Amino acid sequence: MVRYAAERLIQAIIAIFGVLTIVFVVMHLSGDPTLLLVPQDASAEMIAQLRQQLGFDRPIWVQYLDYLRGLAHFDFGISVVQRVPAADIVASRVPYTVMLASGALLVAIGMGIPAGIVMATRRGGWLERLLTAIVVTGQSVPTFLSGIVLIFVFGVTLRWLPTSGSGDFVSLIMPSIALGALSMSTFARMTRISIIDELGKDYVRAGRARGLSLSAVVFRHVLRNAAIPVITIAALEIGNLLAGAVIVETVFAWPGIGQLAIQSIQSRDFLVVQVIVLLISFVYVMTSVLADLVYAIVDPRIRMAR
Amino acid sequence: MSARFISIAAALVMLNASTALAQTKDTLTIDLPGDAATLDPHLQWNTDSYSIYRNIFDNLLTRDVKGEIVPQIASSWKYLDDKTIEFQIREGVTFQDGSKLTAEDVAFSINRIIDPKLKSPQLSQFDQIAKAEATSPTIVKMTTKSPYPALLAQLVKLSIVPKAYVEKVGDQEFNLKPLGSGPYKLVNWQKGVQSELEAYSGYWRVKPPFQHVVFRSVPDVSTRIADLKTGKADLIRDVPPDQAESVKGDSNSQILSVPTERVGYLFLNAQAGATKDVRVRQAIAYAIDSKALVEALLEGYGAPVNVVGAKPVFGYTEKVQGYAYDPEKAKELIKAAGAEGAKVEFLTSPAYSRATIEAIQQMVNDVGLNVEISSSDQATFLKRRQGDPANAGGLAFGAWSCACQDADGIIFPLFRTGSIWAKYSNGKYDALVDKARIILDQDERLKLYEQAYEILREDVPGLGLYQAYAVYGANKKLKWQPTANEAMFVTDMSWQQ
Repeated sequence: MVRYAAERLIQAIIAIFGVLTIVFVVMHLSGDPTLLLVPQDASAEMIAQLRQQLGFDRPIWVQYLDYLRGLAHFDFGISVVQRVPAADIVASRVPYTVMLASGALLVAIGMGIPAGIVMATRRGGWLERLLTAIVVTGQSVPTFLSGIVLIFVFGVTLRWLPTSGSGDFVSLIMPSIALGALSMSTFARMTRISIIDELGKDYVRAGRARGLSLSAVVFRHVLRNAAIPVITIAALEIGNLLAGAVIVETVFAWPGIGQLAIQSIQSRDFLVVQVIVLLISFVYVMTSVLADLVYAIVDPRIRMAR
Repeated sequence: MSARFISIAAALVMLNASTALAQTKDTLTIDLPGDAATLDPHLQWNTDSYSIYRNIFDNLLTRDVKGEIVPQIASSWKYLDDKTIEFQIREGVTFQDGSKLTAEDVAFSINRIIDPKLKSPQLSQFDQIAKAEATSPTIVKMTTKSPYPALLAQLVKLSIVPKAYVEKVGDQEFNLKPLGSGPYKLVNWQKGVQSELEAYSGYWRVKPPFQHVVFRSVPDVSTRIADLKTGKADLIRDVPPDQAESVKGDSNSQILSVPTERVGYLFLNAQAGATKDVRVRQAIAYAIDSKALVEALLEGYGAPVNVVGAKPVFGYTEKVQGYAYDPEKAKELIKAAGAEGAKVEFLTSPAYSRATIEAIQQMVNDVGLNVEISSSDQATFLKRRQGDPANAGGLAFGAWSCACQDADGIIFPLFRTGSIWAKYSNGKYDALVDKARIILDQDERLKLYEQAYEILREDVPGLGLYQAYAVYGANKKLKWQPTANEAMFVTDMSWQQ
């Protein structure tokens, strides 16, 4: 078990290192921030001078080694745009991203799993048809549209919720729904399929034969067995929700790392982008490592097979 | 009339006055597309940053509503010779920590921004200044490298920072906790979220109209408009013309707009590709119906121009004829140049309206060229546009403002041989704009720019399309006249019940 965990960790570090290097090279080859920083009427000499002051005139491999040297000392460098340590900038945005991802996960699980249960047990009924329509809508409407529609309906027309902001709990409601909708559909479909799968098995028939009601069988036995694939999805969705909120964060002016990432890429604020990439790849790799380890703990068969 | 009645009436009047007083607005909320990059006014110069920090700091000089350069921290100035200017510094101005603003602070501010160690992106605006020194507590003497006519126009953008405080806390801390002599002081800066400002009670010039001002960062324009309609924001910046109707349709909101010094222009590569032939460039100039562009795409929030420049800019001239829309003549010129069907690459980035780019493409294709749009992100776009002529595309769109309202900040960097933007070279033109930047005689400069614009008309290395308007959405109760230099001074605003 320990050896298994160690192997997975080493793989994880190699993966993160690879991602960092690729992003570093791609970002540097596609233009440097100097051109975006100077006023329009700056002369070529002025631009060259600033580029030299900021160190972007050095060969890319020198800049890369320099970057790695800093990294080894946990020094992520200073943002050329904001003139503040890059790690501080990203750290100040993380709480917002975690809040939004939690809200979205709550929406996704809280609505998706019950919807999946109902769709699996009331097959052919009007309720299933209604829920199917909602699930399909949730997964096919892009968030920039659903976000604006939500703002228009609940913010501008009904005035129930604030149109933007991040200061209080109510501001979190609409972005959570917009971001959680896609995951909600995934959870609903996964839950429905797993339950339908389980319902065809012998123990369900046996339970019904002994006179248990369908709901009693589902809640006492089926749900527990259907949970494993749903947990797998949850691990993947957490990564998606943390990293995939760029559009929702932009529409709702929610100051998370998605919004920061897109702004930093546009302004070629290399070091901030690097910190974000490091963080997101770390979260992705770690959730998948953790999920693997959790399976091994939860399911003895997986542990034994190693 | 009984005494009792009079006293009741007086009481009513007073009651009225006190409720009116209670109704004055405490907090003004402004939605900007982004947060300030830095609040150190000597670092970043972009609209969102300076919209905020120019309310925290005073400038050496400023512009009045008519656009004239007027005193602010400097109460007067005089030229000692062509390269030396002496500023009289206003007395009785204090920074927000109560300390006195003196000539030392002014000299420090100038020397700080031109010091290469600060790595200021704004250096290019001030690099003609050699040095500044305080010769007395109220006098600053400034020397320029050569006679520099745009000096005053550039100094409008120079914020005065407190020497003692900056030296005490250091550059990094000063950026996070700026302190100025302006009408508002920073209370709290939640990076990426909002900046909260509070009125400085000791401000020398006027009483700040609102006790608090909050600048929020709201990147999406639909969200900014929703904020305005629901009263979450009182003023929003950067409303695209096609969304202005939706603001006007709201009973509590209004559109405030103003013609700016910013000019939308088309770059034509005179050194590579099909556009190397001057007849092709002239044909493109005849092919574009800029009046239609302004009416259909800008919905009137813009005005056609005859040159690459606009009225608020010193050196702008009405005497040079613009190109009239004449597709037949354009076709003839293309035929004469043997360029029918020639491929022309049109560079653009998401910063510019796609509809405008496509409309221009259509107009140019209609007269016989084959325009292909190639869109990339802003950094890549700039790299190509400012790089080697062979790779700079045949056409590119741009929206130019030097925030200095002087032709030296527009047509010099755009078309002077050797400038990064210029894919064009004409010795006669170079001589004119070179001379215009080192003489102080205003009438003489105007004449030089008129001749320079005449050459540009003939050679068409660039084509003025329209003067852009700044478009803001505001609560109907907000009274404010926006200015041509896109500044956002809260002290110019007021609230009317």
